[in-house]
Amino acid sequence: MSDTSTPATDGELDGSDDARAADRPGALERIDASRVALYGFLIGLLAVYMVPIESGLVTSIKTSPTGVSETLPYMPPLLPETLQFFTTEKWQTAFDALSRGLVSSALYAVPATIISAFAGSLAAYGLTQATWKERYKAPILALFVAGIFIPLQAVLVPLSQFWSNIVNVADLLGFVWALGINDDYAGIVEMIVTHVAYGIPICTVLFRSYYKNMSEEMIESARLDGATMRGVYRRIVLPLSTPMFAVVLIYQFTQIWNDLLFALILISSSASPAAPVVLILAGLGQSMEGQDFPLRMAGAFIAALPTLAVYVAFGEEFAEGVAS
Amino acid sequence: MRDILSTLIPRLGRSGTDSDRSDAETSERPASDRSVDGDVSAGDPAVRADGGVTDQRRSTPGRVIDAVDDRFGSDFVESLPFWGPPFLLMGLFVYGAIVWNLLISLTDFTNFGSPDYSDLDFEMYTRALSDSGVISATANTFILTIAFTVATLVVGLCLAILIDRGIRFENTFRTIYLLPMSLSFVVTAQFWLWMYNVNNGILNIAIGVFGAGPIDWIGNPSVVLWAVVLALLWQFSGYAMVVYLAGLRAIPTEHYEAAQVDGASTLKMYWRVIIPQLKGATISAAVVLMVFALKAFDFLYSLVSGYRPPNGADILATKMVRESYGNLNWAYGAAIAIILFALALAIIGPYLVYEYRRGHL
Amino acid sequence: MAATLGIAGCSGNGDGDGGDGGDGGDGGDGGDGSDGSDGGDGGSTPAGPVEVVHGWTGGDGQAAGQNLLEAFEGAYDGTEVDWNPVGGGANTNLNAVVANRLQNNDPPGVFANWPGKWMTRYEGVLGNVDDVWEEEGFEDAHVQEAQDLHTQNGAYRGVPVGSHRLNCLFYNVSVVEEAGVDPDSLNSISAFIDALDTVSTETDKVPFTHLMSGPWATVQLFGEMYLGEHGYDAYMSFIDGSPDRDSVVSTFENMQTILENYISDDASSIDLTASNSNIISGDAAFIHQGNWAAGAFRNADDFEYDEDWGFKTFPGTEGMYSLHFDSFLYPSDNPTPEASKNWLRFVGSEEGQIAFNTLKGSIPTRTDVDMSEFGPYLQETQQDFADAEERPPNLYHGLGVFDETQSALEEVVSSEFSGPYDPEAAADGFVDAVSN
Repeated sequence: MSDTSTPATDGELDGSDDARAADRPGALERIDASRVALYGFLIGLLAVYMVPIESGLVTSIKTSPTGVSETLPYMPPLLPETLQFFTTEKWQTAFDALSRGLVSSALYAVPATIISAFAGSLAAYGLTQATWKERYKAPILALFVAGIFIPLQAVLVPLSQFWSNIVNVADLLGFVWALGINDDYAGIVEMIVTHVAYGIPICTVLFRSYYKNMSEEMIESARLDGATMRGVYRRIVLPLSTPMFAVVLIYQFTQIWNDLLFALILISSSASPAAPVVLILAGLGQSMEGQDFPLRMAGAFIAALPTLAVYVAFGEEFAEGVAS
Repeated sequence: MRDILSTLIPRLGRSGTDSDRSDAETSERPASDRSVDGDVSAGDPAVRADGGVTDQRRSTPGRVIDAVDDRFGSDFVESLPFWGPPFLLMGLFVYGAIVWNLLISLTDFTNFGSPDYSDLDFEMYTRALSDSGVISATANTFILTIAFTVATLVVGLCLAILIDRGIRFENTFRTIYLLPMSLSFVVTAQFWLWMYNVNNGILNIAIGVFGAGPIDWIGNPSVVLWAVVLALLWQFSGYAMVVYLAGLRAIPTEHYEAAQVDGASTLKMYWRVIIPQLKGATISAAVVLMVFALKAFDFLYSLVSGYRPPNGADILATKMVRESYGNLNWAYGAAIAIILFALALAIIGPYLVYEYRRGHL
Repeated sequence: MAATLGIAGCSGNGDGDGGDGGDGGDGGDGGDGSDGSDGGDGGSTPAGPVEVVHGWTGGDGQAAGQNLLEAFEGAYDGTEVDWNPVGGGANTNLNAVVANRLQNNDPPGVFANWPGKWMTRYEGVLGNVDDVWEEEGFEDAHVQEAQDLHTQNGAYRGVPVGSHRLNCLFYNVSVVEEAGVDPDSLNSISAFIDALDTVSTETDKVPFTHLMSGPWATVQLFGEMYLGEHGYDAYMSFIDGSPDRDSVVSTFENMQTILENYISDDASSIDLTASNSNIISGDAAFIHQGNWAAGAFRNADDFEYDEDWGFKTFPGTEGMYSLHFDSFLYPSDNPTPEASKNWLRFVGSEEGQIAFNTLKGSIPTRTDVDMSEFGPYLQETQQDFADAEERPPNLYHGLGVFDETQSALEEVVSSEFSGPYDPEAAADGFVDAVSN
């Protein structure tokens, strides 16, 4: 897990076409056949990778059912003879159905992302920069690392028992519902806590891989000057963590936004005001009139827009997050 | 973002102090019995000031802290507020829940209410062993996990090697190959449902060019699992590529040169020299991919908008959720979850040992 | 709460009958407005709106539900309704959502579900509505089966809103005429299979449209095929736990013949709507479904009963009415007991049953309803219901078998009878499932 992270987090992925590898001396000067084939292959592959997305995009602006059956799935309905199949109505319908889900998703994804990133940073700091015996540290670290890989199914039944019988948020927050807020929003609180708890392991490990490579002299000299661990964290470690925070926040946001399972278990009804966008999308176009593919495609894009935007804007950080 | 961070810092700092107190309290227990609240709160400043400061040893809590620190390491007590609360939260939700799940799986809990813990037995496990649904779901889980992991590693490695050959616009290529991974399973399931559509899907049109098909990708029980593998491969091969790319960049240039001097062909060089050095990258990528395969629940659920995946694509993850939340067989679902957990542990356990031995934990 | 109501309307909007969805939004607004006027009625008016969870999100179901809702709001001025539709085929998502809500001690006011053996899954969380049955005189007004199937541990737990019929064979008139088949002559399973063969040789249409995207339709088909081949007594022994394996194998063999030869190529990926559409568009000759399919036919343009589509009692089940109920069940700890009971009072009333069933394509469970508003097809169905020698409970949809049996049957169909078809293994699985 962490072995590959070192080069990745060092930013070496950025190294573009420096002729570092020795098997290609002069390759850049020589535009030979194999080079052309390489580019051709890569671009062809790129097209293959884009097909599902492209097909979804052009389908989302077609009428249903005639538009999808009368046109080829990869052709936009923009030729003069297919213009009759063009419509933006599906996007409108999908947006009407999903817009409240976008709000609900953001309501838990943003706080859960920030809290879990912070918790991970604190935990990683306490486990990395503090000196205590490896013999005791290793099992704790192992529990953190293993926590990343636990299949969530193994905790689902207790999780629903916990939120229904032990900590009933809907009852605890009675004063909030008294203000006129729908008590279905209890699900949002449950989602935040749950996503934080299950996000801590990955956040901790990501931060730990970063803190391990942090300059130790600065921290040690600060400690010798009598600074407490809190002081060191606040004055040195936290400011230096900014790049890693970007990585972790982006990774976590994507994960939490995209996750369906917890929403299905904790909120379950796509009609609930607290239903996140993925939950609504999972039933969109199916429960209505048959399988309305243009509507589904439009919905898929609307649900994906926030993560796509984050990805396009912070692709590097995302790549670093997944590589570690 | 920084604004949010700065507002959060003081809050987290405070919560750290709170648990500081309780942690001191718990860590004190082995050393002495007579401490009570007064002592602990009096010791509180000592805890905070303790970093490197040794002249407060006279107070009892101070001594306890030192004793604890002596045993665990000099910063143990002071670092507790940092990793303790997240550890507790995670420990409760992850490991506490697994133990609880194990307990529930030994009961006969169904429908509504709470489990009855007074009568524990392994009935649910014997039931699972004789349930052909569980057996085929286990087989499907294996096929899906292994086929998907192997295929993704191979494709990812090929992509990484091609991209690593000093091409221009490397970042653009990389960004696009990795893009599907930023999408939700719910979203990609919509795309692939359309790709696999019997009448209008691109895949059937593509194979129709060669006179084949149409294939009912989702509806045919002997095809659907491979269709799922293909969709997941599309989504995650970019991830394997990024990991391998990092692995390739970590190989010293001299290794390429040495192979070149030996007169090895490019293919041979990669096979004999480079790929063996990617063992670490392969292992970590494989473990992560297997975990993604376990999460295929979201994908299968979204294909059908229901707990029952297409025929032939039922895996343990979907079976577990269906038994629990569809059929309200909570104890049975919990038992299936434990089986799934055991399978995952069989992968994670050796991996953790491997990482520990290499000093990577 | 207003937000919920708006959303309920909103999710209806995507539907083909956009007008109905819009109405849902209006209904919400109306409820919102009456918020302030609550106090007027005093003690008899419950505080919060009654949350009605149901699965009618599309087509005729949605229209019928909407009609029921509006009629209720007219009749019980002051009882607000939080109308909460949960989408998904054959109630699976509805059941999951309801289960989750009950598990989380967050029960809705009432929820649409199946009575009968299925209802045992809710044992312990359903409340007693004997007072509703008594005050409204439901015991006299409703058929005997309604009373039996809504009773659990000696008390009524819900109220039926309507009844669908399961032993139906619908056909497209022009396709069967093109093939030269007389549907009324199909009085046995073998005659039926011969007719399918005739359609396949005489026309290029699909003889029998069947959906296999989920196993439920195949389980449902088995129920009627078995009833048609082996009769009422054998069927009742089967669902009551003493099945005869040979007869089960024989039915599966007949099903194998049909599913291997006479269904559409895309059967395994189509859903109910698409399967119904095959009849409406004239692409298929026959379909077996509950008579909710008739609701879809009636809602189609230029598609008239007896002229364009026809009905035949499922071959071999003449003189019987395979019973199905749509009901509302009453959770014991629901937040709005009085309002929930008002809802139940209304759905069991003549007015409520007319409002719902005329559009749903089902018939009232009351025996005293004036059928003049129901159209010829449902009038005939009602007559068949009244005249039926036997009314066997359905195999799928809750009345005939317990929920774990139903899910076991689904598992068997999934693994053994979704192509390739294995009659022996499927029979073993079915026998095993009902015997437990």
